[in-house]
Amino acid sequence: MKIKKRKPSFVFFSVIKALFLRELDMRISSGKSGIIWTFLEPFLQVFIFIYIHVLIKEHTGSTSMDLYSYSVFMSSGFVAFNMFRQILTKSMGAFGANKGLFSYKQVKPIDTIIARVFVEIFLMTCVVVIFLILGFLFDIDNYIPKNILLVFLSIIWLIIFSFGIGLLVAIGNFFYMSVGKFIGIISFILLIFSAVFFPLNNIPKVAQDVLLYNPLVHFMEMIHGFYLYGLNDKLVDYVYVLYWTIIPIFIGLWLYVKLEKRIISQ
Amino acid sequence: MIHLTNVTKYFHTKHGLKYILKDITIDIPDGNIGILGRNGAGKSTLMRMLGGIEFPNKGTITSDHSFSWPLGLGGGFVGNMTGKANVKFVCNLYGKTKQETQDIIIAVKEFSELGDYFDMPIKTYSSGMRGRLGFGLSLAFDFDYMIIDETLSVGDAKFKKKAKEALKKKIETCNIILVSHDMQTLKEMCDTGLLVYNGKLQFFKDINEGIKVYNEINR
Repeated sequence: MKIKKRKPSFVFFSVIKALFLRELDMRISSGKSGIIWTFLEPFLQVFIFIYIHVLIKEHTGSTSMDLYSYSVFMSSGFVAFNMFRQILTKSMGAFGANKGLFSYKQVKPIDTIIARVFVEIFLMTCVVVIFLILGFLFDIDNYIPKNILLVFLSIIWLIIFSFGIGLLVAIGNFFYMSVGKFIGIISFILLIFSAVFFPLNNIPKVAQDVLLYNPLVHFMEMIHGFYLYGLNDKLVDYVYVLYWTIIPIFIGLWLYVKLEKRIISQ
Repeated sequence: MIHLTNVTKYFHTKHGLKYILKDITIDIPDGNIGILGRNGAGKSTLMRMLGGIEFPNKGTITSDHSFSWPLGLGGGFVGNMTGKANVKFVCNLYGKTKQETQDIIIAVKEFSELGDYFDMPIKTYSSGMRGRLGFGLSLAFDFDYMIIDETLSVGDAKFKKKAKEALKKKIETCNIILVSHDMQTLKEMCDTGLLVYNGKLQFFKDINEGIKVYNEINR
């Protein structure tokens, strides 16, 4: 008897779907508070930073009004940055955590990363929806983006960028454990130096030039620029970001193709 | 037919390379194949290579057949998910519809005799229970080849008998590749034999002949 072969695309989608549901199940049920914590964390972060902002203003007695809505600025930056950081850390552990599943022939290591990226997108979407509802309920200024389409495209671009970096890090981490520890420190430093808390316009030119080497700064400026009235994307170098997107993906895929079999059978 | 072309497989050990297969070219005809060899000779590695989840260092292994995942003692399960969730996961993996998945869940629950444990996380299972779940699950799917690593020795005497009977019924519609140290089981289940020995691979049309040679080596 000959068993009918399934189409490769169909196999791929089944695998991604199965892995996606499994990851989501684990994320939500990890500990009793898994689901609450997933959604509470971003709000706490944003709340703390808005509070600090208010304190500083009161302390310095500054009466100057911002040209943009600060809470929206913080929320959009944090959500985007968190997604990048989550994709990075989750891809890093993807091969190790799913080792056992490679005994199913159709599960390829890269599928586990793709599934985890989709899980992060899904969770981020939920967080965004909650933020938007809050924005509506509290009637926060500028809670709807200035240019929805371009914000959306910037986020998609950020996801592709994160995937490329994530793939590279995942491969590196699988063969050299210390890469993971290094990334842990880096992602914390990046949070401070990625223009999440402040628009680039507000800092001196010298500092701007240095920070602009960081591709995440470009993404933050892009998202903030398209989201908020009173800000723009004039400091963003799109070609530079494009390099940062394409090169890691190509190197990542090239390494992956070379090393896939070793990852499966290790 | 499974084609092996110039297949070389080795592992790195402290004392240099250890060869499992050394430049092997062979065509293995269809049938129920029993894999023989001493401990550490590379039986399981060969089995995994035939199933396409481990790869030769050189050469290629090709076949148009579909292979199951290797049935062993509970590999491929996720510890903190329930037995039921794991069954669902595998059904999703193989693109089963909702109705098919429901049927498979019921069938597996009944066959594996896990009772309430079916809705408990796998990490609470004993190795025998994992084996039972894995075996029950694999029976629900159709493959050209089932790859089995000593699963038949799972569970108590009653379950062993049941498993053997279920497998015999399954063999009517598909082939198996079986790794076992139990010569009686091999004789009962397999027609042809493959002997892994010192980096060589020998095919026997009759499993009894293979067992004879294997016993001579073992002496």
